[in-house]
Amino acid sequence: MSNSSHENANAPILHAEDLTKQVVSGERHLTILKELNLSVLPGESLAILGQSGAGKSTLLGLLAGLDAPSTGRLAMFGQALGALDEDGRARLRAGRVGFVFQNFQLLPTLTALENVLMPLELTAVADAEARARSWLSRVGLGERLDHLPKQLSGGEQQRVALARAFVTGAELVFADEPTGNLDPTTGERIIDTLFELNHEAGTTLVLVTHDHALARRCDRCLRLADGQLVEMTREEVGA
Amino acid sequence: MSEPMRLLRLSWRGLKRDLRAGDVRALFVALALAVAASTMIGFFLDRLDRGLTRQAGQLLGGDVVLEQSRPFETELRETLESAGLTLSDQVDMVSMVSRGDAFQSVSLKAVDDVYPHYGVSRISRGGDVEEVADGPPRGEVWVAPRLAMLLDVETGDSLRVGGGEFRVGAVIEREADPSAGFGSFNPRLMMHVDDLPTTGLVQEGSRIEYELLAAGSAQAVEDVAPLLARLRTEGVEVQDVREDRPRLGSALARADRYLSLAGLAAVLLAGVAVAMATRRYVERHLDTAALLRCFGASQRELVWIFALQLLWLALTASLVGAVLGLAGQAALLALLGAVMPIELPPPGILPLGMGIFTALAVLAGFAGPTLLRLRRVSALKVLRRELDPLPASAWWVVVVAAGVFGGLLWLYSGDIVLALGLLFGGLLALLALWGVGNALLALLARLCARLPREAKTHDSLWRALRLGGQQLSRRRAASLGQLLAFATALFAMGMIALVRGDLLDTWRAQLPEDTPNHFAINIQPAERDAFEAALTGAAEARSALYPMVRGRITAIEGQPPREMVPEESRGDNALRRELNLTWSAELPTGNRLVAGEWFEPSASTAEEGWMGAVAADPVAPISMERELAERLGLALGDTLTFTVGSETLQGRVASLRDLDWDSFRPNFYVIFPPGVLEQFGHSYITAFHLDDGQQDLVRGLIRDFPAVTLLDVESILSRVREVLDQVTRAVELVLVFVLLAGVSVLYAALVASMPVRAHEAGLLRVFGAGDRLLSRIQGAEFALLGLASGLLAASLAELAAAGIYTTWLDLSPRWHPALWVGLPLGGILLVGGIGQLLSRGLRRRAPAASLGLLGET
Repeated sequence: MSNSSHENANAPILHAEDLTKQVVSGERHLTILKELNLSVLPGESLAILGQSGAGKSTLLGLLAGLDAPSTGRLAMFGQALGALDEDGRARLRAGRVGFVFQNFQLLPTLTALENVLMPLELTAVADAEARARSWLSRVGLGERLDHLPKQLSGGEQQRVALARAFVTGAELVFADEPTGNLDPTTGERIIDTLFELNHEAGTTLVLVTHDHALARRCDRCLRLADGQLVEMTREEVGA
Repeated sequence: MSEPMRLLRLSWRGLKRDLRAGDVRALFVALALAVAASTMIGFFLDRLDRGLTRQAGQLLGGDVVLEQSRPFETELRETLESAGLTLSDQVDMVSMVSRGDAFQSVSLKAVDDVYPHYGVSRISRGGDVEEVADGPPRGEVWVAPRLAMLLDVETGDSLRVGGGEFRVGAVIEREADPSAGFGSFNPRLMMHVDDLPTTGLVQEGSRIEYELLAAGSAQAVEDVAPLLARLRTEGVEVQDVREDRPRLGSALARADRYLSLAGLAAVLLAGVAVAMATRRYVERHLDTAALLRCFGASQRELVWIFALQLLWLALTASLVGAVLGLAGQAALLALLGAVMPIELPPPGILPLGMGIFTALAVLAGFAGPTLLRLRRVSALKVLRRELDPLPASAWWVVVVAAGVFGGLLWLYSGDIVLALGLLFGGLLALLALWGVGNALLALLARLCARLPREAKTHDSLWRALRLGGQQLSRRRAASLGQLLAFATALFAMGMIALVRGDLLDTWRAQLPEDTPNHFAINIQPAERDAFEAALTGAAEARSALYPMVRGRITAIEGQPPREMVPEESRGDNALRRELNLTWSAELPTGNRLVAGEWFEPSASTAEEGWMGAVAADPVAPISMERELAERLGLALGDTLTFTVGSETLQGRVASLRDLDWDSFRPNFYVIFPPGVLEQFGHSYITAFHLDDGQQDLVRGLIRDFPAVTLLDVESILSRVREVLDQVTRAVELVLVFVLLAGVSVLYAALVASMPVRAHEAGLLRVFGAGDRLLSRIQGAEFALLGLASGLLAASLAELAAAGIYTTWLDLSPRWHPALWVGLPLGGILLVGGIGQLLSRGLRRRAPAASLGLLGET
């Protein structure tokens, strides 16, 4: 899979313009995101902070093309998502977008190795198994390949998820509260691994979190409040 | 790698990994059982059918038997031979043989070198009984044991037949083609056809029947079908194995239907199991589907991946099922060895294809609509777990499954009316079950709520029952689904067990220990009382003595019978030969009136009795056997003319009767009321049972009543018993399969309900429930479910049994108290047992794991 499919290296990898998301709750229309604008450059790491219920996960879903906005324009790898149906968006993601979830989202009947293999098999990579093994070794689970999720601790499960996110050579990784289900020490180690892998692979990272320690490690931090994104200063994040 | 190959590999790997999950194993087991049951029964019935055709050929002496009163023309022979049929000539006649001063009339059969086409004869050349595949050589005659006894001859003695003297070469224990000799009451004598001229018996005017026996492939018989049809209209009697199956009879026909019914029950059960397992499969795969969407799989890819995965599953399950089915049919054949001819056709490929087709159809029908839900999974579900697509509507699932099952019913039974009847009956029953099940659950919940709240001990039984009942009513919709699945399973298991029991009882009742094994015919009126007296006390079980008059049907509605009957019945035996007519004031035992009225002397002529009643109307009322009436196209009110000797008399069909032809009692096609036939010459017939040690009585009867003919049918009787025994064992083997299929439903349904139960168990644990209490609560819930399912199943089975018995199996319906005890008890034990076994693991789990706090989904 090519890492340079968008022509201009300085063109944003992700670009949102006047993004609005409304949902209907009973008889009321709730506006979660209001004409929001965002541009993410290749190789950049970006944290989106916000209170619970601020709409962080909704925004992540939109940016990753898992959901469609009510109005506004959105482009990923230079391609307008609005012109694509759900299948088209899925094809765009294939092999180029990785995900890390708060609840890990490992399949319980699959071993660690098989969980990591899953996105590779979908894109028919030739040396899939060797790659999956190598990524699991990189996250320190080389000896736990055949373990099922229930035989792994929470931190270990999230490391499997990290290996799965990076194994395809993704250009863009989305992380949704990656430390949310972990104790602080384990969370710290996961963050270390995440940024290490991100740095080595030169991946663009978009993560949503309410954890300032995690946000501080990113190049840029934004706060989601009242449906809009506001740039945060270093001080604000550190506070 | 090409796209299809990639999807194939992906789905195959997915399946291998999935086998770790209980629902996939349940799906696998259910499909394998469906295939095993349908292939086993398919293979078996296919071979049984071919075997019976072969056996029919053996009984007839060939695949096609032609009979006429003059020799057959060379041209006809050449036509038959060019179609690939092998021909054998046979000549039958009644003749006298003598030894010294003793004379005896015999049923003479002259055979050629080709005889017999099928099977072997059992003969004794003075020593042990041996099996031979030939007839008598030239210059030799073989005699029946009765003839040897009557003429006091042994092998090596000589007999005079017509103008020739022949050596007795052997005594015949059993002819290779027994049915040919059964209709004749004279003892058998066999000789070579080349010796006939020596006897001088074949002369102008002699009553001789020439038979041409043809044997060959089914195709060859099929090829000459038009010729046979033409010969029939020309007055040649044609017997064809495909139409003239022996009356081994109704027992095997019933077994055949029972096996088909059992096979379909197994398929239905497997279908329900598939439906239950698929629900859980889909729920478990919603996350997989969402993740795959996230990683870039298109909707089309998703559908292909899961469909192919299930296709793999179906194919491997089919393979396992087919192997099981092959083994099963081999076991069936081993059990039925003696019924089948020695040379068995190998298992055909068709049943295997049908088996795999069944698996795919069951999967598509019972799992399809549920599976389509996976297609609609949104990738956003990975972020928002509540975003599950709506489950397929229960009614939609039922309608598709019913459609597919109806199609299978049609395919298997070949009877669309039956298929539609069963299908709509089943859907109505499901609707009724739905309502009754709901009411039953509500009742159980209310009853459980009234149980004493204050218990002496923490985990008392009452407390467990009350909590178990509460759990059931809280999850009303899920409980109702399980209740219906369990009730269907128990119903099918109960039905198959029930029908088996009644079938076996009927068979046993049909041939009790004291079934008549001897017939006495030609008892003269003057001997009647003496004969009856000789039997009284000696033979415990015997039928009445029926008078018998030989008469021929010579007109129907005043016209020649050949013009009045349907074309295919013109060569019917009943028109060509004399029938045995009898009279009786009462309906004979074993006869059942199916139309019209039995004879009633009219009130005005009561004092004069029957004679008066009949004298008032020159056309006597008669009662006919239903099948004969149908063959001849006769209805109530039709008038028949009979010729008895040189006299004629008329009868009007007043009633139709069904007979039990397998009963070994004298049976009559036509019965007159008393007062009509007495004027003609008649003799009596009776049947009675003698034990092995009563041969002296037989000798005494032969000595004291030399004119009476005694027929020993013990060998035929024991053969029929043997067949019934073996069929019984086959039926039991099939029952085991159905029970296994039933258990697979229970397993699948319980596996499907485990996640919810795990969650509940986790919560109860958190709130302080101990292992013992948890076990009791779950046990109580399973037991209550089992009890309710059993009660539902029993009521449904009772209704269905009545329907099936009267319409399909030809048995009379009855009340089954055992159902009302067995099914609820079976439900409690099976659902309770399997449920407890499956939930043992749940109870061992830490509550955090059960509640998903460890990140497990």
